[in-house]
Amino acid sequence: MRRTTMTSTRLQRCAVALFAVAIVAAVPAPALSATVERKTLAEMQKQLDASLQMIQALTERVRELEARQTTAVTTAAPVPVPAPAVAASPAAANNARLEADEQKLEQLEKENASRSADDTGLPLHGFADVGAGTHNPINPALQGFNVGNLDFYITPRLGDRTRALFEMNTEVSSEGSVGVDLERAQIGYQFNDQATVWMGRFHSPYGYVNTALHHGNWINNSLRRPKFLQFEDNGGIVPAHTVGLWVTGSSHAGTGKVLYDFYGGNSQEIIGGVLDMRNAGNAHGKLIFGGRLGYQFNEGAAEGLLLGVHAFSTHIVDDAMVPTETRVLAYGGYAVYDTDQWENIAEIYLFDNQDLSGVRGSHRSDAGFVQFGYRAPWGLPYARYERAALSQSDTYFAAQLSGASYHRVALGARFDIDLKSAIKLELANTRLTDRSRDQFGEGLVQYAIRF
Amino acid sequence: MMIQNPASRLWTAAWVCAVLLAGGATAAADLAGAPLDQLPPSWRDERGQPLAFTDLIGHRVILSMAYTRCHTTCPATIMQLQRMQQVLDARGEQASFVIVGYDTQDDDPASWRQYQINRRLERRNWHFLTGAPQAVRQLARQLGFEFWHYDSHIMHDSRIVFFDSQGFYSGAITPASGDWSALL
Repeated sequence: MRRTTMTSTRLQRCAVALFAVAIVAAVPAPALSATVERKTLAEMQKQLDASLQMIQALTERVRELEARQTTAVTTAAPVPVPAPAVAASPAAANNARLEADEQKLEQLEKENASRSADDTGLPLHGFADVGAGTHNPINPALQGFNVGNLDFYITPRLGDRTRALFEMNTEVSSEGSVGVDLERAQIGYQFNDQATVWMGRFHSPYGYVNTALHHGNWINNSLRRPKFLQFEDNGGIVPAHTVGLWVTGSSHAGTGKVLYDFYGGNSQEIIGGVLDMRNAGNAHGKLIFGGRLGYQFNEGAAEGLLLGVHAFSTHIVDDAMVPTETRVLAYGGYAVYDTDQWENIAEIYLFDNQDLSGVRGSHRSDAGFVQFGYRAPWGLPYARYERAALSQSDTYFAAQLSGASYHRVALGARFDIDLKSAIKLELANTRLTDRSRDQFGEGLVQYAIRF
Repeated sequence: MMIQNPASRLWTAAWVCAVLLAGGATAAADLAGAPLDQLPPSWRDERGQPLAFTDLIGHRVILSMAYTRCHTTCPATIMQLQRMQQVLDARGEQASFVIVGYDTQDDDPASWRQYQINRRLERRNWHFLTGAPQAVRQLARQLGFEFWHYDSHIMHDSRIVFFDSQGFYSGAITPASGDWSALL
């Protein structure tokens, strides 16, 4: 403190010298006549005195701030702004003004201090959910309480063009063991607003649900995805993840937007009755190719309507004693009507698969769902009908544990507790239609959060 | 807030005083900038025209953030802003309503223009601003808007910040402290 005071004294002298220079520079040369000079000098003396007073006041202010800094308490409590005092002099008025401004800014920053912004270097966010039900929402053989997902979402900021996205999900298996899965690992380059190229493991761009509703259950207004569109390890029968390359973008067209996606990657395999996206590559070099094209309406009664088509083709092998290889060709369409009142979604998938070993031939199957949701002031009730008619002669479906045909009707509702947590309820009735004729009803509850 | 050391503060004060003396005491009122001055300066409105926050000084400014594809939180926030507009209209008072876009990827001026038309928010004192990603993040940090991207979704809260007619911060509300009558 003493050293600072000594420094301040020296600086005061420098400041006085600076004043003198400034004042001399400010006075017009023609005015420097002998008479005027005396008058001017007297005025300058007055101004200099006033300035010295001002400097003294500011010096005191610096000391006060320095003392406050050493005893500062980091609290988010608002700093009271003192009522402006009656200015006794220009220096005092300036001082009061500076102090008031400073305190307002300090108040604003303190208020925001506890809030995390989106540029903290490596923001870590995520989702979690727990639930209960007469059946487990994924494995109907189980019932009672269940731990859902704990999903961490990391998006390191790398620059204006390079982007990265990682999603690590801890989930509970049917046996109750907890596993960690790197659900998405994408690094991409954004050429412009119309085109971004991603490489890595991503959600295959088909339909709407697979790229709109990710692993965080909070984001989904319904309690769960349609059964056939679940992620692979939750019983999904369509390759939800692809490891490869994905080009995506959008462009204004008319009053709406054209959305497009093209992708290619490792062909998935069926291992242990479950689709596997082959994170490290596959042994035969077969690939999946696909794309999606949509139009989003932004005007008039059609505002919020999204219509699109999608298709993919791949070669799927399984791990049976005598492995089979199936060429899977899937195509279909989707429609979404997402407005301030409605969230209606429909998707359809048509399969035209061929057994490449030539034994079982070609088979057609289909699956789809339609869901209506209404944004009411108290919550979002929804109704969904889903159906999968899957040929059991098709090696692609026959080799999958979840490849059975079914119908399901579900009624549910979402209630937002606050902006970061929601409770969802669902009543559902499922009827299996080929491998077995079982039918079961479900009452489910889920508590989902984001953080 | 940037904290200066005492020596540099004194130099700054001396320099300011020198300029004051040379330029006249009338400049005293402009000495310190209002917080509105300190927000990122470069924005485009829904018509693609440049707009700086300093252009709005003269009337109070009521500011929030939103994105066009939000169908839950943002419409509720906009509705609150509309209620404020009604209260001010009833009093015969003026204010600028500013909505800054969270989504620099998808929400360009054309998107906001369509949003404005669709929701009948075309009053001239309503401004829907787009900016560079860095400017949006900086403004959000300065004014306490918490948000993050989850692919095409934006996770965010609801918040409205108030500035007085001189551009000084006068308060903010969140859903938890939603009584804005005292701030109008």
